[in-house]
Amino acid sequence: MDAAERSLLAVTVRDAVDRACADGNASVDGALAELGWLEMLEAEPRDAIAIVFDVLGAANATATALDDVVACALGVPPRPDLAVLLPPFGSWNRPVDGRGLATDRITTARRLLVACEAGIATVAPSATEMTPVHGVDPCAGLHLVRVDVDGADVTPLDDCAWDAAVALGRRAVAHQILGAARTMLGLARAHAIERVQFGRPVARFQAVRHRLAEALVAVESLDAALVAAADEPGPETAALAKAIAGRTARTVAAHCQQVLAGIGFTTDHPFHRYLKRTLALDGLLGSSDRVVIDVGHRLLAQRHVPTLIEL
Amino acid sequence: MSAVPDERGFRMSAACDLAEYRSELHAWLDAHHDELAPRYTPPGELDDHVAQMQRVKAILFDAGWMRYGWPERVGGLGGSPMMRTELGAALAGRGLADPGLFSLIEVLAPTLIDFAPPDLAADVVPRLLSGAELWCQGFSEPGTGSDLASLSCRATPRGDPATARTWVVNGQKVWTSLAQYSDRCVLLTRTGTIEARHRGITAFFVDMDTPGITVSPIEMINGEREFAEVFFDDVTVPADRMLGELNGGWAVAMSILPYERSSCFWQRIAYLYRRLQLLVESAPSDDDRTAEIVGDAFVHLHALRARSRVTQYRLAAGETLGAETSIDKVLVATGEQVTFDAARRLLPGVIETDDGSVGEMWRNEYLYSRAATIYGGTAEVQRNIIARRLLDLGSDE
Repeated sequence: MDAAERSLLAVTVRDAVDRACADGNASVDGALAELGWLEMLEAEPRDAIAIVFDVLGAANATATALDDVVACALGVPPRPDLAVLLPPFGSWNRPVDGRGLATDRITTARRLLVACEAGIATVAPSATEMTPVHGVDPCAGLHLVRVDVDGADVTPLDDCAWDAAVALGRRAVAHQILGAARTMLGLARAHAIERVQFGRPVARFQAVRHRLAEALVAVESLDAALVAAADEPGPETAALAKAIAGRTARTVAAHCQQVLAGIGFTTDHPFHRYLKRTLALDGLLGSSDRVVIDVGHRLLAQRHVPTLIEL
Repeated sequence: MSAVPDERGFRMSAACDLAEYRSELHAWLDAHHDELAPRYTPPGELDDHVAQMQRVKAILFDAGWMRYGWPERVGGLGGSPMMRTELGAALAGRGLADPGLFSLIEVLAPTLIDFAPPDLAADVVPRLLSGAELWCQGFSEPGTGSDLASLSCRATPRGDPATARTWVVNGQKVWTSLAQYSDRCVLLTRTGTIEARHRGITAFFVDMDTPGITVSPIEMINGEREFAEVFFDDVTVPADRMLGELNGGWAVAMSILPYERSSCFWQRIAYLYRRLQLLVESAPSDDDRTAEIVGDAFVHLHALRARSRVTQYRLAAGETLGAETSIDKVLVATGEQVTFDAARRLLPGVIETDDGSVGEMWRNEYLYSRAATIYGGTAEVQRNIIARRLLDLGSDE
């Protein structure tokens, strides 16, 4: 895909997702399916993931496309009726004892893909206990799941394959956070220009300007980290992108909420939805705090600091 | 070498050529390690660092490496400027040249190439590249820190400005890196009124041994004397040493930005990776706290490296770099301070009380890193630019 094709696709996806959101969230998955999401994922995974998840984040849309990304990376052909058991909140290890998280797809799926210590299995969701997660963001569509894989056919899964699935999933989630962060910044910027205090728009105050500048630095560093993760795909660059995503969300949300001030503290303004969604997304496939410590342990164990990306 | 202007894909069409160059370069540096290695006992002093850099430049110029990425008309061998960047990063990453000193080439040589009369550029640029000469940059003044357009060091024509054969410079510069070692200076002077601001500035290429120039080094917070005050007292400069147009000095000053914000940063990043490597090797513990500090610094450096890489691909693809490099500048400054803060936290007492060579190195560089948010445009100025130009927040007045 060249740059022009990418921009065109981004506009198409954004329009479709925005329409679906305006129409009630249930149809976002349907809108993506109509656009040929699974075909795009197979043919152009890099661009498909970047564009679709940026848009999902920007629109604060609830979708289940992460299941497709992880299934695809595990070598299982993704299908709209195949859900995936994700690691528990904050973690990225294979689910232990069949406990983990799932997207809303689990409520309608006919099969559930489970990676466990022994390997990978596909079970019927009827063998599953599930509880919707309300938490900070009831609209995120997450479910706490416990599944019994005893008796299911288990195919061996080596660690590299699992790491690759986590890596691709992390890139998707990080893109979603990027989209959300850009929207938070856009909301705060618009507010700063419109809101008048002391006889002038608050955007003229340097303290406000510097907060927004700081947020843009964070957003652009995440964007660059995701380009790096796509150019040099692997567990390390994806882990760093996910860690940077969590930090970016925190930085951007803090500055933007302060600039939005009172209105950002209400549910009248859309900011709260993005703040809550990024809190939930940070925990998917490893929170930034835990990933940073894990990355640090790896460097210490190898006594080596890799450059990972070159010119 | 050329790059495909593909804004999201970024991969150069000739990326494999650059990779090949890099691998040949590193093989050569491996093979010539003994010849290139510092002659002094680390960490050494500024005199040692300058001598080492000039010696290494001479060796690399003779072997051709210092000539790749520079135009043939100034003694170069042509090729992508990214080859220069790779060389600088390799030297910084191996501790063969101080990146701050070495990367000054990137803010001096392109000015001559783009703005000097061709014969002058052809004569002097090879001397800079080969280590035969050292140059400095006379921009800042006591009353001119962040606000460069307010500079007042004056150049007056002897006669009519259009036909004058000589100009006379009077005034003062400050924070001039390596002035006391320098043979020449790229000097910004006031040739119009102060009120004309950036439209009344002219650049000259001045020989530092011209009568009337006095250099007075400044002792920095880490005890070194990298910067100097430079005084100009009726200093005569030939008119053919004017760089660019009369009153066109702002364009000369601004032309440096793309090099400073791409190649110089990549070299600095290589140096910061080397420092984090040293820290990872010497960290006394591998508990969660240590891992968090190391991981945090690595995350900062990776984000910075990723951003700088994107910027360099944009430059190589022919884009004009501008205000968006303020983001790179903020990330470099933050990354540098985070790295040395990590050193202070992980090596308790070393910076504060270790009088051996290890303590001396960390202390010196820790203290230097405090300036990262000040030089080259303060952190505040960068945020002002981001707010005004990138976020389009309008005037702050």
